[in-house]
Amino acid sequence: MADVLPLDDEYVLNFCGKYLARDEFDTRHNYGQYPNPNDPRGAIAEAWRFPIVDTFRSESGSDDDHRYNGVTFVYPGLREAPPKSVGVVGTFGALYDAVPLQPVKDADGQATGYLAVTLKLLKGEAHTYRFVADGVAVNDPVNPQETRLDNGQIWSRFFTHLCTQPVSFEQWELEILNRLTDHILPFRTRDAQNFLSRFYDSADKDNKRTQYAHAYRLDQPVGVVNFIDKLVAREEAHHLVDYKLCLRLIDDVLSSRRPGVARTAWDKEAYIELYDQMGQDSVPGWNTGVYGSPRYFLQILRRHTYTGAFSHPKYGGNVGAAGWAYLEETYRGVAGASAFDWRRALEPPLGRCGDYFG
Amino acid sequence: MAEDFDAVIIGSGAGGAPIAWTLARAGKRVLILEKGPLLRPQRQRRNQLSDFKRDEIFATGTEKRIKVAGMANFNGSYYSSHVEPDLNDEPHVYNKNGTDFATIEGYTAQVVGGGTQLYGGVSLRFTPRDLALRSFNEGRTLQADGNGDVKREARDWPVSYDELEPWYCAAETLIGVNGTVANQGKRFSKDCYMKPLQPNPISKHVEQGMDALGFARYRTPLAVITEDHEPSGRKVPADPETAKTAYVNRYGDPLGLKSSTWVSLLAPIETKLTLRPNSVVTHLEAEGAAVRRVHYRDAAGNKKVAAGKIVVVACSAIESIRLLKLSALLDPNFDARIHASGLLGKYFLTHAFGGASAQVSAPERYDKSQTLDSDWATDACASDAFLDERGLWAGGAIYNNTSDRALPISLARTHGSQDLDTIWNAFVNDTSMTGQKLVDFLDGNFGRGLSVSFMANQVPLPTNRIELHPSVKDKWGRPVAYIEKRWHEHDVYLMNVFADRCAEILRRGRVTDGLGSGGVYMAENALARCANHILGGARFGTDPKDSVLDRDNRAWEFENLYVTDGAFMPTSGGANPTLTIQANAFRVGDTLKGRV
Repeated sequence: MADVLPLDDEYVLNFCGKYLARDEFDTRHNYGQYPNPNDPRGAIAEAWRFPIVDTFRSESGSDDDHRYNGVTFVYPGLREAPPKSVGVVGTFGALYDAVPLQPVKDADGQATGYLAVTLKLLKGEAHTYRFVADGVAVNDPVNPQETRLDNGQIWSRFFTHLCTQPVSFEQWELEILNRLTDHILPFRTRDAQNFLSRFYDSADKDNKRTQYAHAYRLDQPVGVVNFIDKLVAREEAHHLVDYKLCLRLIDDVLSSRRPGVARTAWDKEAYIELYDQMGQDSVPGWNTGVYGSPRYFLQILRRHTYTGAFSHPKYGGNVGAAGWAYLEETYRGVAGASAFDWRRALEPPLGRCGDYFG
Repeated sequence: MAEDFDAVIIGSGAGGAPIAWTLARAGKRVLILEKGPLLRPQRQRRNQLSDFKRDEIFATGTEKRIKVAGMANFNGSYYSSHVEPDLNDEPHVYNKNGTDFATIEGYTAQVVGGGTQLYGGVSLRFTPRDLALRSFNEGRTLQADGNGDVKREARDWPVSYDELEPWYCAAETLIGVNGTVANQGKRFSKDCYMKPLQPNPISKHVEQGMDALGFARYRTPLAVITEDHEPSGRKVPADPETAKTAYVNRYGDPLGLKSSTWVSLLAPIETKLTLRPNSVVTHLEAEGAAVRRVHYRDAAGNKKVAAGKIVVVACSAIESIRLLKLSALLDPNFDARIHASGLLGKYFLTHAFGGASAQVSAPERYDKSQTLDSDWATDACASDAFLDERGLWAGGAIYNNTSDRALPISLARTHGSQDLDTIWNAFVNDTSMTGQKLVDFLDGNFGRGLSVSFMANQVPLPTNRIELHPSVKDKWGRPVAYIEKRWHEHDVYLMNVFADRCAEILRRGRVTDGLGSGGVYMAENALARCANHILGGARFGTDPKDSVLDRDNRAWEFENLYVTDGAFMPTSGGANPTLTIQANAFRVGDTLKGRV
């Protein structure tokens, strides 16, 4: 049973007012992430923010805190007819044991119609869940993430920080994506390769415990593929379709160019040639009837790849801050001091800022 | 049933918070309605976690798509910060040569503290000249003013610098600003600054360049505390230098050292006032000359009503004017009064701005992540001699930026594009930059970028204006703001002169690699861009036929309606506007103490 944390009404309402409250329910926020153009979630701004996955900190602060997230589930009840009781069940607890949501109150103590609960959950995990509203199990009416369970049912899903379990891509897709992103990043030079080997291998036991607890090396360039796997499941779900279509087309193109060669054995030159052709928006063998512009996909892929390599590791890329550490070591000033002392500003155990908790 | 207050203040940023502070401390019953959330620094939360993070994806988020029907950039990408409005819920629309575009430019931030949560903190005073440009330009010969527009449209403020000066001191003291007085081109009755932190070493090039040009320089005043701040009870870390972080401009501060109006003014008196975040005001309702009711929605969308003896509108210029015009749509009496002069929405202003940027040469490279937003500033290009020599109507401030391109993602997403509408574009389009070429890009730019910016007066024109859009509605079904803006030929001339001086500072400071310079008029979306300095549209003055507000920021035909964000400015000033908005709001607040 997950720990229930004290509910901070103000914190929850800060998300409700901006993203949920509205009079107009036209689907102005559906830019491709919902296959059904009339999906009611298309009316909600940044619906992916729910449930809210945030940093956890115990009141007095403890060395163990960084292993957890605070996850806040919000049920938007109707003001006129609020449900009498709403609970949440999920793979983070016993499925027969719903954790009750509490009414979210405004500053005057009046119920707002929203219900919410905050749970303390481990980082690095993906979970499925449902709300039980007046005894009826329903998917989260806000969260766009859903997944089909083995029994065929579709449930709501979320993942916590540093999750490495693939949620968007299959193994063959991950392999191709791994090679594509490798070609984009600045880590293919010999110096960079040496650095990364040293960085991963030399991390002491303590570092490994705190920084790679969930995201070990992943056999990917700084975890970028994992970052993209999560990004297209959540914030940029509207781009999942671009990846699904283009990875299939790329597989077709490269298979025909390297007949009889296993996917994992395709040489570097095959990717370089493909990449250049994508940049020219002219890839022989590419079925433009399925996806019009290979260049457009390349543009998305480059932005995602760069962002994944250098964004906060909580998003699943930049594993153990390897991307930042590469910049830190590579770029030095005249006196030899690093030109990127990133640890100075960031929270422990990732960084060393004693004042900032992340 | 309307809740009753002495004052209802709409907006909690630079224009609203000083008035709330003044009235609440005088024992008045104050209600602040703020559209955005109440995001707190660490020390104000039980679990010591802030809603602001040092996280590049907070400043410029993941991709969203514009889905506003009828826009030329329909389906275009945009990337907003976590406190900027969602463009599909509440777009600003601007007209570019007859075609409508939705834009993220012109929003400050929707959050308690408003734009002061997100800004770089540059807290310059305007010069005495800035407030008297009509009289200054009488009899002068100007370049690039063929139609005589500049002289015809220039206005003096109804408040002089000397009258405003004590309120500048009050703002600097109460907000918490660091900087230096010497070499500024304005009179200071006292030095209210905290001690500045050590400049980033890359700024020595700017120091040399300004010195070589004979430009007297001073440390850029920044709204970041560097010493314990007695008025707000904020304390600095044991080593104040640790306040320097590139997570500054476009980031709320989890430590509360950046002096937003929330941490500096409102939080210390949180129990003395009523603050309703996540509350959007839909319209004002008047009876005769008195605004009687303020209609708003709470965080859950419930309809609520509040009443105040006075009502202060301070939602930042575009949204304030929109709110007044929306109220006018619903009531002919309100309409007749607020549009009495016909000027509401007209003379919308931003700044003539731009600058120069280059990279320091190998082997030099600096850790730009240890920085505040700017180190050095000069008023040399605001002197009468400078203006006379070049036939310019008004001057501006020049200062260097130190936090730009300081973090790895910002380096890429601002590559070739500095503004919010075109962010990421150049990087995304340059598909050849990959592998070794990406290494080369990082080699050339990481820790090397140095920029010098100018912020100068824009010519006020009645055709630059804010209206309601005829068809686009926000998520509450209300018409959105419609912006029309053009650059005058004198603005273009002025921007060229200033951009050239910025480039010369870099040249004389021996920074010439990749040197480029220019004014905002050259940008792809030049008509939308405004540096988030959104001013004018409800200017104050002494003549009811020539202004919307009187000298106390009261709407002429109302007895209790005030507008105190940047909308009141008849000219935009030659500097970032926040400190002047704050100073003026302290001045108005002091007057209002006697009226409720």
